[in-house]
Amino acid sequence: MTRETSARALWIINGLTLLAAVIFLSPVLYSIWMSFQTSDAYYSGGVDFTLRNYDVAIGQYNFARYLLNSVIVSGIVTLLGISFATMAAFAFARFEFRGGNLMFGAVVATLMIPSHITLIPNYLTLARAGMLDSYAGLILPAISSGFAAFFLRQYIRGIPRALDEAAYMDGATPLKVLWRVIVPISKPAIFSMGLQLFIAEWNNYIWPLVAISKSDLFTLQIGLARLYRVNPGEDVIDWPLVMAASTITILPVLLGFVLVERHLVRGITMGAVK
Amino acid sequence: MLRKLTPYLFVLPLLGFMAVFTYIPILQSVNLSFRVWDFMSPTKPWVGLDNYRLLLTSRDFWNSLKITAVFALISVPLRLALALAVASFLIRETAVSRITRGAIFLPAVTSTVSIAVVFSWVFSTDYGAINGFLQMLGFDKVSWMQDPQLALYVIIFVNTWKQLGYDVIIYTAGLQAISMEYYDAAAVDGGGRFHVFRRVTFPLVMPTTYFLLVISVIDAFQVFTIVDVMTRGGPAGATDMIVNMLYRVGFTLFDIGTGSALAVLLFIFLIALALVKARVIGRRVHYDS
Repeated sequence: MTRETSARALWIINGLTLLAAVIFLSPVLYSIWMSFQTSDAYYSGGVDFTLRNYDVAIGQYNFARYLLNSVIVSGIVTLLGISFATMAAFAFARFEFRGGNLMFGAVVATLMIPSHITLIPNYLTLARAGMLDSYAGLILPAISSGFAAFFLRQYIRGIPRALDEAAYMDGATPLKVLWRVIVPISKPAIFSMGLQLFIAEWNNYIWPLVAISKSDLFTLQIGLARLYRVNPGEDVIDWPLVMAASTITILPVLLGFVLVERHLVRGITMGAVK
Repeated sequence: MLRKLTPYLFVLPLLGFMAVFTYIPILQSVNLSFRVWDFMSPTKPWVGLDNYRLLLTSRDFWNSLKITAVFALISVPLRLALALAVASFLIRETAVSRITRGAIFLPAVTSTVSIAVVFSWVFSTDYGAINGFLQMLGFDKVSWMQDPQLALYVIIFVNTWKQLGYDVIIYTAGLQAISMEYYDAAAVDGGGRFHVFRRVTFPLVMPTTYFLLVISVIDAFQVFTIVDVMTRGGPAGATDMIVNMLYRVGFTLFDIGTGSALAVLLFIFLIALALVKARVIGRRVHYDS
């Protein structure tokens, strides 16, 4: 094989690979395209570009509110979850204290616990506290991430202790050392974990399904499932409208994904392969 | 004095919320699994093992277990084989393989509800992409999600499509960790691509395979969202996974005792699997250091 033909073969392989990637994503890509079509055009096989589906999803079906709910809930879960995990990770990595190992063991044990065992009791707890159908009910059960704490503790242990000690010499408190020394150095790890918490919460389905019945508090996932289900059994689902709602649900993660894919991949492979 | 308290204050928020929403609930689930309750009655009479007995003699439970096991038996090897093939093909760090890996990874971080809705359209009988294609080729429409023989395979397909990218990412990391020396040695020995794969790549990537095997079995026993959106366990229970049954028993039939018993059984099974996983990871970390 001459050099020239092998270069051409490489082009063909690359082209076919990219084509396969497009075919792989085609259902999602087509659903986005479909969301910009009028119903009439879609069902008659024509093409008629419109933004009306988004207007209807956002206005009539309240998806602006669902979007806001998802942003608030995922945002707060991420912020609190990563804060608690970082604080605990710092203590586990840097302090010798009575019961410390046992507590760390208890945190690591939660990595094995399937969330479904807590479904019914958490429902009861929040019902008793009057917190069903509230942001608190969506947020509180999700803010203790054993995985983030475990992962960040491993990371912090890799940071030289000399840095802490220098800061303590200057009279810093533990909280200052955490905030001024550990957090800045751990930024990549904290960012990766934060992304994972955000995505997991954004896509969370079973808990909001159980905890929320008021439509004002629906997250995007619940809103979308309901919108799609309003129609089953009917002859005609308004697919372009459903796809507009679906696109609103996917889009924030889709856009963010392009920017942060590397961090995400690093977090996942560090957690799994290492 | 304050110095001594410091570490406790740092772990308090995490452990406090874990206590309320993880540790105590496990005990509550076990407790409730021995009682009869409907969310409403003022009393929760103790019935011992009755809920478990009821569960183990009910057709629904064995059907769910069978469906979930069939799902795991088909989808796990499928995921792993596809992922290893794709990861091997895209192993070189070129722009094209990076973009393609990104495209395959995308569904793994995308909303499962959206994916389930989009594929409900893809497989829909009257307007779906697949039936449209079949009709173009002159075939009849197929009722993918209404046919008990087919619905489970549709769910397996969609789940595989969603999870594949995650497995590919992990396999890619595993493959890239294999030292080139092994391949050089294999090249000296001579032997084709398949030979190298069988003798070098496959055995050396075995720890990753083992890890993914356990992870994906754990995943398989927790599948819920795709089924809930696409088929709701139907038609005729053909896609009724364990968690779908748990949700139905607990939150639509309000049978807390049976629901809790089911949760406890699932919990015990998954903890056993997780312990296997912990051993796999433990051994690997040990090798590394």
